[in-house]
Amino acid sequence: MSYTVGIDVGGTFTDFYCASADGGALTAKTPTTHYDLSVGFMRGMSLLARRLKLKLPEFLSALSGVRYSTTVGTNALIERTGPKLGLITTAGFEDTIFIGRGRSWADGLGWQQGRDLARIEKPAPLISPDMVVGVRERIDYDGKVIAPLEREEVLEKLQTLVDRGAQGFVVSTLWSFVNPVHEQFIKQVIEEEYPEDYLGSMQVVLSSEISPKAGEYTRTMTAVVNAYIHGLMADELNKLGNELRDGGYKKPLTLVHNTGGTKKASRTRAVLTHNAGPVAGLHGAAALGELTGDRNIVFTDMGGTSFDIGLIENGEIKAHDFIPVIDRWRTNIPAIEVKSIGAGGGSIAWINHSLGDTLEVGPQSAGSMPGPACYDKGGKEPTVTDADVVLGLYNPENYLGGEMLLDVDLAKKVIRERVADPLGISVEEAAWRIRRLIDARMGQEVFNEVALKGHDPRTFALYACGGAGGAHAVGFAPFIGVRRVVIPLQSSVFGAFGASTMAIKEVWERSRTFKLFNWTEQSYLADLASFNELVAHMVDQATRDLKLEGYDESEMRFRLELDMRYGSQYNMTRVEAPKLRLDGAADAQALCDAFTRRYGEVYSPEATFPAGGINVESFFLTASVERTAFTLEQAEDAPAQPDAAASQGTRPVYWDPADGYVETSIYNAAKLRPGNRIDGPAIIESADTTYVVSPGWNFYIDPWRNGVLERAQGRN
Amino acid sequence: MSTIAYSRDHEVVQRLRPEPMTQAEIDAQERIDPVEFDIFKHKMHMIALEGKETTMKLGASTAMRWGDVAFGVFTRQGDLSVCATGIYHHAVLGQIPLKYVVKHWVNEPSVGVKEGDSFFYNDPFYAGVHNADMGLAVPVFYKGELMCFIAAAVHTGEAGGTEPGGTCNTAKTKYDEGLLVPPIKIGENYQLREDILNMLAAMTRDPRTMILDIKARLAAARIAQRRVLEVIEEKGPEFFIGGLRRILTQTGEAARRRVAQLNDGVYRQPRFLDTVGTEAGLTKINLTLIKKGDTITMDFENSSPMLEGRPMNSFFQGILGLSCVYYCGWLFHDLPANNGLLEAIDWRFPDDAMVNAKGDASTSLAPLVQTCFTQGMFLAGARMTYNYDSSRAVAAWFSGFAIPTFGGINQFGEGIADITPEINATGCGARPDMDGVDAAGAFFATMSDCSDVEATEADRPFLYTFRNFFNSSYGHGKFRGGSGVGFGLMVHDTNRFMLGSMGGGSRFPSTLGLFGGYAVPPVFVQTVHGSNLKDLMADGHTPLPNKLAGIYAPDAPEQGNKATSEVNMVVKPFNDGDTYYVAVGGGGGYGDPLEREPESVLKDLRADRVSHFAAREVYRIVYDAETLRLDVAATEALRADSRKARLARAKPFAEFVRTWDSLSPPQEALRYYGSWPNPREGMLPVGQLKAA
Repeated sequence: MSYTVGIDVGGTFTDFYCASADGGALTAKTPTTHYDLSVGFMRGMSLLARRLKLKLPEFLSALSGVRYSTTVGTNALIERTGPKLGLITTAGFEDTIFIGRGRSWADGLGWQQGRDLARIEKPAPLISPDMVVGVRERIDYDGKVIAPLEREEVLEKLQTLVDRGAQGFVVSTLWSFVNPVHEQFIKQVIEEEYPEDYLGSMQVVLSSEISPKAGEYTRTMTAVVNAYIHGLMADELNKLGNELRDGGYKKPLTLVHNTGGTKKASRTRAVLTHNAGPVAGLHGAAALGELTGDRNIVFTDMGGTSFDIGLIENGEIKAHDFIPVIDRWRTNIPAIEVKSIGAGGGSIAWINHSLGDTLEVGPQSAGSMPGPACYDKGGKEPTVTDADVVLGLYNPENYLGGEMLLDVDLAKKVIRERVADPLGISVEEAAWRIRRLIDARMGQEVFNEVALKGHDPRTFALYACGGAGGAHAVGFAPFIGVRRVVIPLQSSVFGAFGASTMAIKEVWERSRTFKLFNWTEQSYLADLASFNELVAHMVDQATRDLKLEGYDESEMRFRLELDMRYGSQYNMTRVEAPKLRLDGAADAQALCDAFTRRYGEVYSPEATFPAGGINVESFFLTASVERTAFTLEQAEDAPAQPDAAASQGTRPVYWDPADGYVETSIYNAAKLRPGNRIDGPAIIESADTTYVVSPGWNFYIDPWRNGVLERAQGRN
Repeated sequence: MSTIAYSRDHEVVQRLRPEPMTQAEIDAQERIDPVEFDIFKHKMHMIALEGKETTMKLGASTAMRWGDVAFGVFTRQGDLSVCATGIYHHAVLGQIPLKYVVKHWVNEPSVGVKEGDSFFYNDPFYAGVHNADMGLAVPVFYKGELMCFIAAAVHTGEAGGTEPGGTCNTAKTKYDEGLLVPPIKIGENYQLREDILNMLAAMTRDPRTMILDIKARLAAARIAQRRVLEVIEEKGPEFFIGGLRRILTQTGEAARRRVAQLNDGVYRQPRFLDTVGTEAGLTKINLTLIKKGDTITMDFENSSPMLEGRPMNSFFQGILGLSCVYYCGWLFHDLPANNGLLEAIDWRFPDDAMVNAKGDASTSLAPLVQTCFTQGMFLAGARMTYNYDSSRAVAAWFSGFAIPTFGGINQFGEGIADITPEINATGCGARPDMDGVDAAGAFFATMSDCSDVEATEADRPFLYTFRNFFNSSYGHGKFRGGSGVGFGLMVHDTNRFMLGSMGGGSRFPSTLGLFGGYAVPPVFVQTVHGSNLKDLMADGHTPLPNKLAGIYAPDAPEQGNKATSEVNMVVKPFNDGDTYYVAVGGGGGYGDPLEREPESVLKDLRADRVSHFAAREVYRIVYDAETLRLDVAATEALRADSRKARLARAKPFAEFVRTWDSLSPPQEALRYYGSWPNPREGMLPVGQLKAA
């Protein structure tokens, strides 16, 4: 039997999802070992082997693939443990990364955090000002060399950086994405001076290679972030690779990319691993959707401190983050957008005295330490989890399979003191208000995210993952307007599950301006050859790359998307090109029409302005390899009535201030079978999540053992 | 019957505070559940954020591209209830055009306000700042009843007028400013009127941007309209109307509570301007904040008279708008931004003052008058709030603008006119416990960013020769202001181009320090016509001026017809290869520079953010200029000596006042000022009438 394993390293736990060739699956969780991630990694592998009743070497040699998403790069950024880098840029623009387009103090912060203008701060830079040098050179918007670059100049500036202790170089000059000749020359000089066989050989990262996109700040930061985390990631992956190989694993280690694909670790750019876990989760939802028939999915992952939101449109993951912020740095990588808002079980409830004693929940969080008051780890602030416990939604004795005992009295105490008494209401009503407010906030923010992409959120299904997803989905779903909620069986290890479903895919991108419809001439682009040449070059690059991954040209599929804009707009609207070539004015017109159509759909037809000129600004080629359809074991349909053994009796739950506590049926999820149906109000407990079924909702287990919540007709 | 007198409506602009509650609003209050209200408030904010994002995405002008957008939901009487913006003057100003629409067009049969309509406006008398700030509003109807308005206000960088780029140094009256549109219907039945768009486009130099910006505002408003209707459908019209009103009420009450916590007192801060547009001239904005109980009164008695024949005037409502930049970003940063805040604010403007323009006076440079005033808000505000929360008693951000304005034909043969975005890279003022942030943004548009050079060069005919921090660009102090940014522009690939500049503070600093901190140094424009710089760049070896200081160096290699001008420069023609240099300043300093940690000075020396001159003469530290190693003992001694020398220069206050009072600027500087020292204690100055 052969297996594949998906692995997702999180802040607290490392998750494992193992699929066998016959459609079976099992999961494991180990504490993340931050001092050396390979320890937790190998522990998890041992755990899986044991559950399969195999010796570790047997298991490892039976693996046909290991797909891995790691946060080691992100951690290096946050903890500032990267190497001392030197940045070589165009003279006169040495401060670009410190200017940070002015507003870099707000990058990576939520919308509420940017308002306290007296206290703003920019993050400490990844490269200090004395490690930035400018070289005398200049290229213009058209790629024309205005000031040539001399070798002597490069040598002199290079020496400055070496003398100051540079351990690696980032090279980013103006307009290098149009004409990289100067960046390449600098690299050549460095490699001649410090050849690979010298001990002083150092990594050189060119912005035009890492991110051939317009905008020097984001392009430079992409290269800086990549260089900064490269070494640490390489060390970690080498170590892991060695341990796996020593243990008997024969295939290459595959990494999950935030672009939505996977690739051999040895052929991965470090910056593409940021936020790969949530992106993997989103792919997991898409894979499940293929089975369940859900084509439009809002994916959410609610944990202790953050709430992630992603989107699947007509079966595809299309939403790209135009300017992804990594830690506090704007970058320009073709990452899939999984937006994170500061809300979760740890969100703190507080009374806003400034606004006249109104209740607020978040954005501050108690995190995992000290965590909610009911964890009894010293938390003194009332949190969403405390409210859930007070309401009776969680079983204090059987939370996360009894792994952690919850102290209801501590939860009641903090809610009484901090919320109920100041508002003059009961503890239960205070808890109910906390829950309702956070659910509303999450639901309304999800609505916004979906709406901003030009969709009607009410036509989507909600896939709710994360430890708190099952308990809160019925709360926030109404604020999105969805009527169907899927809580996947794999919910608690969803990133790992998602990783195991991902295909080989790579994204190639390039900025280049083409005036597809010219404003002054009111005519379509005449120079189609340049357009076609650029696309053909990208297809060539992608083909070569996938061949190196071991695939045949006949298996490859290409999709071309274009970032387009009217006239002098800055922001782009992404449009899928009907074909990979433009073979005449009719094709150019078809592309313009596709743009105007998409623009009208997203922003309303009143806003279109075809006469204002239409530019193509960026090319975005996705190269993928066909994969066999994803399958999961499908179970027999059981009767609607659950087995008597599934019932765990009842307990009082406070659903609503109007009704107070209501005696509510409790079920054991492990004893429920596909086809079983339960009408709300009810609570279903499993080892890794709690499913809350409010009055007015129904619950059933689908053939893939997902929990499905459906809103009873007529209720809103 | 028409209520229009075909002249400006002075009554409607007085209605800056929320309108009295209607019976329907009062009736609704009782039935609004507090939890549902908070959820509603969050939802409305989400709608406003979506509107703002959409406007930004679709807009084309520099300001819109980089986020200078205000998007709001207004009550059906026109008050702003919910707003997403970083430009808080719109929190107060966005409502006036809507109150105008309600007053004049709702019952006017030839116009009317119906579902599917859209209204446009840019007359600063209603929209507050200057005519480059343009707005678009749509009414929202539910089952035939007007529920609210939705509007987007954004700076479009070109408005016709005597000069391109939205501000006119040469404007003498409002008729020189270009487009001045009181609220006008530009769309019906969910369609923009092409004939009106055509007219608006015809009246500016960059018609394409004008139209894209209008469509951006409209598209965003339409999306928000759909969302609002969904909310009304779910919550009911009564809840919606009552909820919008409650946000305003809650804000007003919260503002009054906050003000009540501040110390009562009178806080004075006279502010001065050094330019009237086309020439140097001294004027005064005399700000007095009187804080009593739960109200702050802003008094402008003894400010300079209105300038006849010069564009350096502001409508009073623009001044109030800019006060909200300080209130919303600093004093009330945790409260909603809407005109309910004005419940805690009162104002007194003298008739005939540059801060209370009337008649045909030009207000094209009102932004400068307003930021000059706001500088006073920071200074007086810091003293007023210090005892309440000293961490927010901070020095001001740069207040002198220094914005290049341009117009002409770009490298692709397209007509364009706008400003460059570096105004969004000024330094933030120093704080009681830390330096200001380098290149933080514009204090009045803090959600905006300063763009990439490549994005600007992509469709503007510029080749930046440098863009970086410039040495000592901020006010010194125990904590220094954040650094400002200097930059050089070479006109590239066109010979049909004009460049000018808008700003102030070349004669004396536009931005003062706080509590002993230094002011931000003056900034200038340097131009070189017939420059050889392009040839020098091509030669591959001549050292190029890569910093602001370099262009003023005696051995600067660039040759040509060099000119230094004040930062308010009337547009001039520029050809391919001509160069233009300017800087946006840093923030004001905080506290005595003698108290600055010497290590911080050395760190700035290493990063070229401070000069050796300032290290020695201002911060008074002793160090080895080669190794930058501090001589601790010598520094302590030098600082002790400096303190002694200060004491030796000291004189009793009365004596100081006697000497000070006997001083006066030369008469030629006072042509626009009014009588010296108190502008309004005498006749209108003869010089000004002559100049007009």
